[in-house]
Amino acid sequence: MATGTGEGAPGGGRPVRGAYAVSAATIREWRDDELPDWFKKKRGSARSLIVNRWVPRVMVGVPIAVLLFIVAYPTVQMAYYAFHDINMVSLFKGDYGLIGFTNFERVLTSDRFHGSVLHLAQYLFFGAVLQVVIGTALALILHHCVRNNAARLVILVILVMPMMLPPSIVGVLWRFLFNPSNGAINQALLDIGLIKAHIEWFEIGTSLWTITIADIWEWTSLPFLIVFSGRLGLPPSIYEAARVDGASPFLTLRRITLPMLKEVIAIAFIIRFMDAYKFVDKVYVMTSGGPAQSSELPAYIAYQRGVREFEIGEAAAYAWIIFLFAIVLITLFLRYLKRVLRAQAIA
Amino acid sequence: MSEKNYRLVRLLLLIFLGVWLVLIMFPFYFQIITSLKDVAEVNRIEPTFWPEVFVLENYSAIWNEPGNFKSLIDSFIIATANTILSLFFGTLAGYALARFPRQSGGENVAMWILSNRMFPPVAVLLPMFFLFEELFGTTDTHMALIILYLVFNMPLAVWLMMVFFRDVPRELEEAAYVDGHKPFKVFFTITLPLVGPGMIAVAMLCWIFAWNEYLFANMFIGTDVKTFPVVIPSFTSGSQTLWNLVMAFSLVAMIPPVVLFVILRRYMVRGLSLGVVKG
Repeated sequence: MATGTGEGAPGGGRPVRGAYAVSAATIREWRDDELPDWFKKKRGSARSLIVNRWVPRVMVGVPIAVLLFIVAYPTVQMAYYAFHDINMVSLFKGDYGLIGFTNFERVLTSDRFHGSVLHLAQYLFFGAVLQVVIGTALALILHHCVRNNAARLVILVILVMPMMLPPSIVGVLWRFLFNPSNGAINQALLDIGLIKAHIEWFEIGTSLWTITIADIWEWTSLPFLIVFSGRLGLPPSIYEAARVDGASPFLTLRRITLPMLKEVIAIAFIIRFMDAYKFVDKVYVMTSGGPAQSSELPAYIAYQRGVREFEIGEAAAYAWIIFLFAIVLITLFLRYLKRVLRAQAIA
Repeated sequence: MSEKNYRLVRLLLLIFLGVWLVLIMFPFYFQIITSLKDVAEVNRIEPTFWPEVFVLENYSAIWNEPGNFKSLIDSFIIATANTILSLFFGTLAGYALARFPRQSGGENVAMWILSNRMFPPVAVLLPMFFLFEELFGTTDTHMALIILYLVFNMPLAVWLMMVFFRDVPRELEEAAYVDGHKPFKVFFTITLPLVGPGMIAVAMLCWIFAWNEYLFANMFIGTDVKTFPVVIPSFTSGSQTLWNLVMAFSLVAMIPPVVLFVILRRYMVRGLSLGVVKG
């Protein structure tokens, strides 16, 4: 069911208006004298929790107030910063002026920002997209080819384990593994014979790839887990019917599994995409954006400018640019999610 | 497709799965053996893939630094308190959104709350930093992080609890009302036990997210309070990194979430699949 708003009476009756926990259909079935005491009270009466319409409002209102305080307030404050010439010094002196769009202009015309957008595009394509593709493949392979329950469980736990680690520790671990002079990865590749000389993993041109590899290692787990649980939820009867009809496994995959998992895969993809925008921690721990800013992403620069260098105005401009992009994405995602939920309610 | 072809494809797929498993396992393997090596062996030019001498003392040595154990305690306090808060708000709003969609704003409000989960935290950091400085005089407290982690944990809790409450049939509650029970009692004795498994999933997810968080922690705390995701990277910033100790400590810190997942994986899979899309 989409929201529970559609609790109309059967036969086309209108949904109940008012905070009843009892559906219209049920009310109609009762005769007046059978109704419980608390139910007969007026709608606005404070004596009954269910009938009082303010109770649900407060129940939702308190968390919303908390969110307004910790999310909406800072965002508005950041907008204020973004339009002011504000940094560490001027903040404590208290003399910062309104400078309009200068901060935004400075950000949007800087090479640093352009570079970071290109990095983000590269990271999104080879990070987020690959994660979802591999994760989906792994989930379907695990479901189709491994029938033994114990083996399935072991593989599931192993595949999901990277996700359970703190991103900062994953960063530290991979920095250690990728150490160019005596790291395990170089040594393993040499031993296998794939490379002849040590690869410099943290040079200009390679450092972003290095981060991307570490990120793929950690976050392929999430699309995998989402798609796998989605696949578990598909009804077996459809597959039985397909088998009886003599459909080959490949045809079953193309005509049944993928179309039915379309929404789940799309949502896994969007979730990874959104996370990629916020992605800072591994960049911070593994390379600090270097060398020569070659692995910087927009969110990292915003963090660096604001938290490390206290160029608050510019950091705020960065944050707002990221925020606006995120809003577009969030809106698209929610619209899609709504449609999916609606479709499922009908089905 | 012939039977023979199918067998071949199946074999290739299994090989792919096997290779991926090896790739996933390798860092864990190397982390574990590094934590068992001595310092000299870790710093060798050619890393060894099997320790020559097993040194279990690494695991006791990490407790010599008093800050290490305290950082785990701090992480635990923050993660647990935040989980309880998120779950409280999540249950409150989730129930209202599921049962009284009209009064509580319905789908749009639920979607707005969920959208906060995808919010970029960089936009929150600085103003909250100044605000906490003003309110409490310092940001270096458990409280700061407990509140801030609500940014990403509370929307998740609200959304998931709403989905779980919707799964509880309305008729059960209605029957209890008709029998003359008070709403509060009905909620606690009938509805809440039915969403118990869902609450466990939500609690676990929130706890793991808070346990692992780095970005806020890195900025807000650091002297009086330290969480381990901040402490561990700080070991590696100096010139001499004791990688064996770092790996041993990070292995210890990894245990709680992994154990949680293994025990409660059923709930976790359910929670995740419901969290993104119901069904």
